[in-house]
Amino acid sequence: MWYIGKRLLQSVFTLFIIITIVFSLLRLMPEEGYLGAAAEKMTPEQQEIILTNLGLRDPLLVQLGNFYMDLFKGDLGTSVTYRTDVPVTTIISEKIMYSLFFGLGAVALSLIIGVPLGILMAHMKGRWLDRLGTGYIVFVVAVPAAVYYIFIQMYVTDIFNLPLLFDEYNKMSWILPLTSMALAPTASYAMWMRRYMVDELNKDYIKLARAKGVKERTLMFRHVMRNAFIPMAQYLPATILFTITGSIYIESLYSIPGMGGLLVDAIQRQDNSVVQGLVLIFSSLGIIGLFLGDLAMALVDPRIKLGKGGSTR
Amino acid sequence: MGDNNEKSRILSIQNLIIKFKLRGQVLTAIRDISLDLYKGESLAIVGESGSGKSVLVKSIMGLLDKNGFIDQGKILYKDYDLSQFSTEKDWLKIRGKEIAMVTQDPMTSLNPLKTVGKQIEECVNLHQGLKGKEAYERTLKLLRDVGIHDVEKRYKQYPHEFSGGMRQRIVIAIAVACNPKILICDEPTTALDVTIQAQILQLLKNLQEMYGLTTIYITHDLGVVAKVADRIAVMYAGDIIEVGKTHEVFFDGKHPYTWALLSSLPQLGAKGEELYSIKGTPPNLFNEIKGDAFAPRNPYALNIDFVERPPFFKVTETHYAKTWLLHSDAPKVEPPQSLQAFFEEGRRYAYEQ
Ligand SMILES: Nc1ncnc2c1ncn2[C@@H]1O[C@H](COP(=O)(O)OP(=O)(O)O)[C@@H](O)[C@H]1O
Ligand SMILES: [Mg+2]
Repeated sequence: MWYIGKRLLQSVFTLFIIITIVFSLLRLMPEEGYLGAAAEKMTPEQQEIILTNLGLRDPLLVQLGNFYMDLFKGDLGTSVTYRTDVPVTTIISEKIMYSLFFGLGAVALSLIIGVPLGILMAHMKGRWLDRLGTGYIVFVVAVPAAVYYIFIQMYVTDIFNLPLLFDEYNKMSWILPLTSMALAPTASYAMWMRRYMVDELNKDYIKLARAKGVKERTLMFRHVMRNAFIPMAQYLPATILFTITGSIYIESLYSIPGMGGLLVDAIQRQDNSVVQGLVLIFSSLGIIGLFLGDLAMALVDPRIKLGKGGSTR
Repeated sequence: MGDNNEKSRILSIQNLIIKFKLRGQVLTAIRDISLDLYKGESLAIVGESGSGKSVLVKSIMGLLDKNGFIDQGKILYKDYDLSQFSTEKDWLKIRGKEIAMVTQDPMTSLNPLKTVGKQIEECVNLHQGLKGKEAYERTLKLLRDVGIHDVEKRYKQYPHEFSGGMRQRIVIAIAVACNPKILICDEPTTALDVTIQAQILQLLKNLQEMYGLTTIYITHDLGVVAKVADRIAVMYAGDIIEVGKTHEVFFDGKHPYTWALLSSLPQLGAKGEELYSIKGTPPNLFNEIKGDAFAPRNPYALNIDFVERPPFFKVTETHYAKTWLLHSDAPKVEPPQSLQAFFEEGRRYAYEQ
């Protein structure tokens, strides 16, 4: 418990620093970002009034204090240019559902296919399935995603007669974005799983287990698989959390109204409060993901002592 | 012990040749070995590293690396010829149940993510057919038998919570938990502190009696052997060049390689004197070996040693050596000076007992 408490404290502290830095940096941005589309038509006096009302003429520390007060109330401010006067939280929560759905779907799909694929590949190392899987992995890693996405759009849609664009009410249209998104992570899960399995299989304790008369299959399931999955457990929470950010490419390719393009749009339109809200959310996700990863490791790996502090790996 | 009649023979290796394929070449690791193991005895296999000790015992359990294969010969155990075994199903009849193994490095031989109790219990389940509470109780007993205290608590601990010596005790408990007839210990103390070595040896000896085991004890350290073995087989370059009761090999060794091994015992060297070491290197196993493999390093080598491989010459009913020096036409050669005193003393001591 000590270990977890310590890691939690570290995470909160890191989060605090990051938020403060993001906040301060955005104060260095051009102030038009708070004025909206009408900025050019305003006199400098009018601009001053708006900025003062927003609290931007207060000392930086006071601004920071207010910002944190609002943050704890769950208020990220309102959008300036993107969708004027709509709360940032509303904008994000509308979009997040789409990204979350496809993101989690893709993670689930790639775990369900990638992990067993990696296990089978390790089990049949050097045989045809392993070769086939390796071919797939090399393909996905070597060929830019844009290329095979386009191939999917050009041919797969025709062959299976699947809709090209996303439509909330047509479930068939969910298939292609999901599979496209799962292609790369499936390959990497398969690759890591295979690698960790082969590592484990070469270890002495496997030889001893074999010598004591454990069946090869039992050996795979009870000893090797679990041990090989542990290094992956560390990265899984972060991977899952990051699906929230959405995939810019997939979302624009299939016209999914998700988070993917939001940050880019907000930056292009100089909407400071939306940018600030997004950066804050993304960085928190990263930190929470790392923390949960360490937590997961601590739970599954007895070598990490929960009682005392110390390095995790 | 060492009673040579057929009835007590438990394992018989006959004319065994084992080869490995390595990068398109073939290496012969075991070169035509025949060896019997008798029920209840403790046989030590001694030889420098690379001489094929591990390969020999791995072949008995079907644990040769994938690139290795039995080229010729038989391994007879009960009604089986193990050299003909090919499927996992075959080997599962032997592994653990009949023959179990204690491996060299206790630091890596245990699954780091399972409690030691569970790892022992796995064998109890598999080979003693016990489940649940009974299996748990048996596991605790095994932990006690290998000299671990506070067993209920220890049962629940993970390997990293044990010291090297303690882990080796766990590995031994795992092997014994299988209820085997034969226990193979492949350099069980090599990775341990000298002080702990003695304890582990004593433990193995006790367990052998307690559970009526037949043990094969592998080591490259002759000094260790005298304490545990009834018989010794000396290996060199994939061949057994001398075999006999412990005192026969120790105090009446016949093969010059045995002499060399004995001479390099630290106990033999006088204080301040440099330790004896064998000159040259073992032969390359990729090449065909002609004559006596030890001949190029052997100061006593005869001409014939370079031409023809010596057969086993009988010294006594129980003692055989593969050296032409034992042939009736061979010139009389005495073991090195430093050894003669040792032999004398040893023999006197052996007869007094
Ligand atoms: N998988 C393998 N492939 C090729 N050669 C091997 C393999 N395993 C063992 N050998 C060779 O067999 C010989 C005997 O090895 P080993 O039995 O491990 O020696 P030791 O007496 O030290 O236990 C060595 O020359 C080693 O290089
Ligand atoms: Mg060895």
